[in-house]
Amino acid sequence: MASGGLIELTQGAEAKIYRTMFLGIPAIVKLRISKPYRHPEYDRVFKHRRTLIEAKVMTHLRSLGVRAPSVLYVDPDAGIIVMEYIDGCRLSECLSKMPIDRVAEIALDIGRQTSIMHANSVYHGDLTLANTLISSKDEIYIIDFGLSGYSKDLEEYAIDVHLLDRSVELLYPELKDAFMNSFWKGYLMNASISFVEKLKDKVRDIRLRGRYVEERLKKRISKDRYA
Amino acid sequence: MENAVTQSLLGSIARSIHEGGLSELTILGIESTSHTFGVGIVRVSSGVPEILVNEFSKYVPEKGGIHPRDASNYHAEEAPKVLHRALSKAKVKLSEVSAIAVALGPGLGPCLRVGATIARFLSSYYSKPLIPVNHAVAHIEIGKLLNNLRDPLVIYVSGGNTLIAVQRRKRYRIVGETLDISLGNLLDTFAREVGLAPPYVVNGVHQVDVCADWGEDFIDLPYTVKGNDLSFSGLLTAALKKAREAKSRRELGSVCLSLRETAFNMLVEVSERALVLAAKSEVLLTGGVAANKVLNDKLASMASIHGAKFYTVPADYAGDNGAMIAWNGLLHYAYGVVVKPEEAFVRQRWRLDEVDAPWLLED
Repeated sequence: MASGGLIELTQGAEAKIYRTMFLGIPAIVKLRISKPYRHPEYDRVFKHRRTLIEAKVMTHLRSLGVRAPSVLYVDPDAGIIVMEYIDGCRLSECLSKMPIDRVAEIALDIGRQTSIMHANSVYHGDLTLANTLISSKDEIYIIDFGLSGYSKDLEEYAIDVHLLDRSVELLYPELKDAFMNSFWKGYLMNASISFVEKLKDKVRDIRLRGRYVEERLKKRISKDRYA
Repeated sequence: MENAVTQSLLGSIARSIHEGGLSELTILGIESTSHTFGVGIVRVSSGVPEILVNEFSKYVPEKGGIHPRDASNYHAEEAPKVLHRALSKAKVKLSEVSAIAVALGPGLGPCLRVGATIARFLSSYYSKPLIPVNHAVAHIEIGKLLNNLRDPLVIYVSGGNTLIAVQRRKRYRIVGETLDISLGNLLDTFAREVGLAPPYVVNGVHQVDVCADWGEDFIDLPYTVKGNDLSFSGLLTAALKKAREAKSRRELGSVCLSLRETAFNMLVEVSERALVLAAKSEVLLTGGVAANKVLNDKLASMASIHGAKFYTVPADYAGDNGAMIAWNGLLHYAYGVVVKPEEAFVRQRWRLDEVDAPWLLED
């Protein structure tokens, strides 16, 4: 399959990532591994289902102009996807070294690409700073579509935004407001204001579902009052 | 408890104690957020912390789950006994205590008020500073103290909570959490509805685990992971439906097995993702469900895949207890966090990520 040797790059949460040459192209091999803590039946279904959907979504998004790596080869039974290698750095590692203007530009582009994705009924499912790359050509890539899927449910899109929001808060609390403001600006490039408002409401709803959120209680009380 | 992390942590605390003109601190902590009324006393002397005593009394309902009123009545009756027992075992007089720490939330209102009332009284009567403690932060800090951890990925699972957190910029930040019921609540409610409990845990083994041993087959149940968040309520409904259809012990066992596997796999999956995202080298499991052996094994094996060390907390300190409130109170007190008794309101909803944690060591 591979025309070069395999060099292990990282061990992700659900897959091993190798670097190789595939048909003369620098490539990444993503190999989903069996988990000792998972029931064997689960394990089989998981690997197959997630490999298939990941390859499908990546190929589809690529055709829409979202910067996802190109898929070169898929084997769902073995849990293997071979894709184009992007030379770059994960935003979870690189964002802190950047000036605030650059952070805003990056967030804007993530917003733009996310809205294209959502407008085509695709959700990412794990949209965090660890799954966004800045390439050596300064282009923003979205990677790791292992939890993605097709849905017309606003909830799924809102979860993407919620996850991104929380990952920025987790890694760079001081950048969060600037980042999310730009994100929404970028999102508006492919979405209507009314849709963005609905989406923002849903994101807030999701946040309020967390444990012990005082605001949720207040919200319910004020709703009752004006009913 | 002499170890490197605690030493550097206590170094900074010792400085603040010294600045306050003290050589030694003794904190009494009161816990009453849910089913347990606990009193713990922790002392730091020349930079060495010691848990002098950890006394508690646990409310066990005869039938059903925890009724907040019954639990709070229980606490009100038990409180003086537990307090006396703690003081006499530790050979400490209330007048010798430096400050009183109390868990003001999150938890059940009626239960919280028992602990808060006693703490406010002790603080006023003996003129001792009163320290407000967040129950969830206390759970994490006692786990870190006992395991000598500096910066772990925290998995906190109990009857009221299911969350994954990491420390960042002097606060705990929530990476993932349940969007509806907690893992403990899922297991307990299932066991109760099916008629396996109470009691929920016998000899350290949960009834769902006992029941899972009867089963062999794996049944497909709803697996709801939303990003890093979890949802267990649909799983509970589906499992109860399957349990009602079960015609034999073995069939019920298979439902228990599948429920447990599904729920635990969901938690381990998000924990794994959080571990990779946050790139930590230590994993700490705490809370009332931390005693579960199956969950321990799964998380330990997940952590080892990523070269992280897995730690858990001894049962007496993993479940609700007073010592953790005292220890976290001490950390707060060293940084001057106190509250006036008349302003020490309970907060049924008080999120972990709202609490400033100035003692956290960061790279």
